[in-house]
Amino acid sequence: MRIELKKFGTTLISRQAGKEALAAFQSTLAKLQPDEKLEADFTGVITFSPSWGDEFLTPLLQQFGDRFVLLPTDNPSVTITVELLEKTQHKKFTRA
Amino acid sequence: MEEKLLNIRQASEILGVSVDTLRRWDKSGKLLAIRKEGGVHRYYHQKDLEIFASDLVKLAHDWTAEGSEIPSTFYCADSSIFQARLSTLQAVLVKAGIADQLLPLVVAVAGEIGNNSFDHNLGNWPDTPGIFFGYDVTKRQVVLADRGLGILVTLRRVRPELKNHVDALRVAFTEIVSGRAPEERGNGLKFVRQVVAENPISLFFRTGDAELRLEKDNPELFITRSATDIRGCFALINF
Repeated sequence: MRIELKKFGTTLISRQAGKEALAAFQSTLAKLQPDEKLEADFTGVITFSPSWGDEFLTPLLQQFGDRFVLLPTDNPSVTITVELLEKTQHKKFTRA
Repeated sequence: MEEKLLNIRQASEILGVSVDTLRRWDKSGKLLAIRKEGGVHRYYHQKDLEIFASDLVKLAHDWTAEGSEIPSTFYCADSSIFQARLSTLQAVLVKAGIADQLLPLVVAVAGEIGNNSFDHNLGNWPDTPGIFFGYDVTKRQVVLADRGLGILVTLRRVRPELKNHVDALRVAFTEIVSGRAPEERGNGLKFVRQVVAENPISLFFRTGDAELRLEKDNPELFITRSATDIRGCFALINF
């Protein structure tokens, strides 16, 4: 399953918005098969921040571990955010 | 052709402050009005209002230091207003042709600093809730400020041993710690530090009597004490 993050907006900044996005995504997430990968696609996102990322990406990393895969992006706000989340969580994201 | 003068009500609408505030600003010399010969009514040149509103640093600083009224254009009473204006900043930077590798970082840094103000002061604002948020793409600057508790007070919730604003500012920008205990959160300022150190962005940040300067290619934190204290936090981002 692929999450197109741009569907949550192009400016993904606040904790509140990240939390709401994850809650809204739960019904779609329920359809994920037990051995299916969950891919995060950052295409179309312009600004990404640790606050939003911590509320959305971190819980998915904790829940799905290696099955949660980040697709490549050259957006520096995504790259730096992901590195910081890895430091705070002491856990690495799987990258495609 | 002589420029048409605006009356005080028109000026108050343009600046988004009350007529009484304009009268006070005239008396104190902060924004002087014009009086027609022998007249008592106050008038303003449009250009003077534009110049006044373009001094973001002074407007934000005076707000944090003195609690003076600020033009409504720059006031975000809650985080939803801030998010909306941040999206506008993003659109303005896209239109201005700011490089793809820089634009997301400027918006994210502004976003994290602004969010920090809301996240750490929610329900605890000492007087005025919300933040000052202004930007000038021509000057390549973004200014944020709040009249919140300041970093020392919020960090002391989890680090009661912190003694002064300088120590608090250093911890906020270097250690993974949160002022919203018991949640393991509050890493926005570490993100800001890394982004600024690696990109053509500079940051001046002030809380209480502590001032921090950060710039590209210099991961060192320059924190000094200032002569005066401000309420909450003040941040100037140059890019």
